Amino acid sequence: MSPAVFHFLWEVNFGAVKEGDSVRTFGRLVSYQPEESKATLSIQHAARQHQVVVQTTFVEPFDPIIGAQYIVLGEIEKAEGGDGVMVHARVLNCVDGVNLALLQRGVNEQRSYFRERGESKGDAATAAQQRAPL
Amino acid sequence: MQPEAKDPEEDSVWEEPPSMLWGLDPMFNAFTRLYVKDILQMRESCQVSGIYFYNSHPIFKVDVLGTVVYKREREDFFCYGVDDGTGVINSLCWKDEPWREQGDPATPGARSFGSSAREDFNPANELKKLRQAQHSSSHLEIGELLRVRGPVKTSRQQREIMASTYYKVSDPVMAVQISWMMEVPQLYRQCYDKPFHLDSSAQNPNIQGGSASYLLGRATRILKDFLKEKEVTRFRPYDVQDLLQPLVSRQPQKTAAEQVHIQWEEQEPEAGPSSGPPTSFKQLRELLQKSLQILQDEGLVFRKVKCQDEVYHVTERDKDLLMAIRDILREDCRREKYAEKGCHILHILSSVRQRYSRNVSKAALELVLKALECNSDIISTSDSHYTIL
Repeated sequence: MSPAVFHFLWEVNFGAVKEGDSVRTFGRLVSYQPEESKATLSIQHAARQHQVVVQTTFVEPFDPIIGAQYIVLGEIEKAEGGDGVMVHARVLNCVDGVNLALLQRGVNEQRSYFRERGESKGDAATAAQQRAPL
Repeated sequence: MQPEAKDPEEDSVWEEPPSMLWGLDPMFNAFTRLYVKDILQMRESCQVSGIYFYNSHPIFKVDVLGTVVYKREREDFFCYGVDDGTGVINSLCWKDEPWREQGDPATPGARSFGSSAREDFNPANELKKLRQAQHSSSHLEIGELLRVRGPVKTSRQQREIMASTYYKVSDPVMAVQISWMMEVPQLYRQCYDKPFHLDSSAQNPNIQGGSASYLLGRATRILKDFLKEKEVTRFRPYDVQDLLQPLVSRQPQKTAAEQVHIQWEEQEPEAGPSSGPPTSFKQLRELLQKSLQILQDEGLVFRKVKCQDEVYHVTERDKDLLMAIRDILREDCRREKYAEKGCHILHILSSVRQRYSRNVSKAALELVLKALECNSDIISTSDSHYTIL
């Protein structure tokens, strides 16, 4: 099972995550179509609205609060119609009230640490060589 | 089967420290907050199975916060798959005995609400509520947040955490996860990524002196006691050098070649053919320099004039310095500016540096001011202001 790495919605849309890989992302619930089991999450970034479609078959029934912040964990799949990607959710949690700026900072803090570590691979590599098969 | 390390050269360069010394690493006894990715990749010790190494630190138990992505329930335990964003790991969570006999805890809940409205304290109901709380804290569904702490075990070629503590974390606005994301990189930078250094003296249990910092502590102690007992006012390094000789002469040889040459039972390093005076003299000089630096940093001694001739003045016994400070305070406290509040310590420091010596440190000045105050020559009017009496 691949880990669900945090990505921002705009990154998901730009293909930052490979098809089949797990991802964790967040956004505001703008619409929900229960008949098709599809929800749309949206987030504002750099003066643009970014949206992604979420397949909710595995997480139904859930209580949709339109306008609330949600966090989704799931696999990337090709969107129907072949245009772009969608997330097949395994987890869909309402996190309304989350401090978005702080969350973004948290994600970036973690990323910058991994970048730093990647640069000085020599030191970290001493212990990080063996892989346990899952 | 654990595959061999990708880079075999890395293995030969780094050797595990002996297991007896692992307790010296504070991380060994802590629940380390490693990323799951690192927990899965850390190498297992060759000496003791069940202990792992991250960046030369021996790791035994970990602390993970993550989302439950799969769940397997058996009669005695849960097996939760925990995903913290960097990896997914199995977590074996044993069920607690007491509430295992409970039936469906949902129904009693409705009843106990009614009874809690009454004034009386009903132990049976409270116990029921406690059991429900325990139950809800250990039964998690996919998507909920789990905190797990416990040792890492490799079972059936998979690494898993044998939970000693686990509980569901209620995190409606992600505050807990965000603060975890902010804290863990700091922990890595400050602790986990710093390699575990073992002094060569610590690795050799025959040394009576122990590690270098212990030796340094003893050296400064010896010097301080000497300066106090003999009421020394000034000294040069070679005056006190011999005091530290006994600390240095107990160190045995460090190289194997030198060890081979030692035939004598007395283990006299100076007598060994390949060591001789130069090695121990160098150690002595180094130890002396480090100790003197510590004494300077603490303000106990200072060098009035920095020149070729290394003369150290013992701060508290330097009469000229005492008089200089008293004069400064006497003159300045007559001025209107300082009459009421007294002089700030930094003002005194700059005056002393102008009049007496540029090398008086703040630490040294504080010592003298304290001595003068104890002697009732001056008095402090506030935390950092002094005036003459």
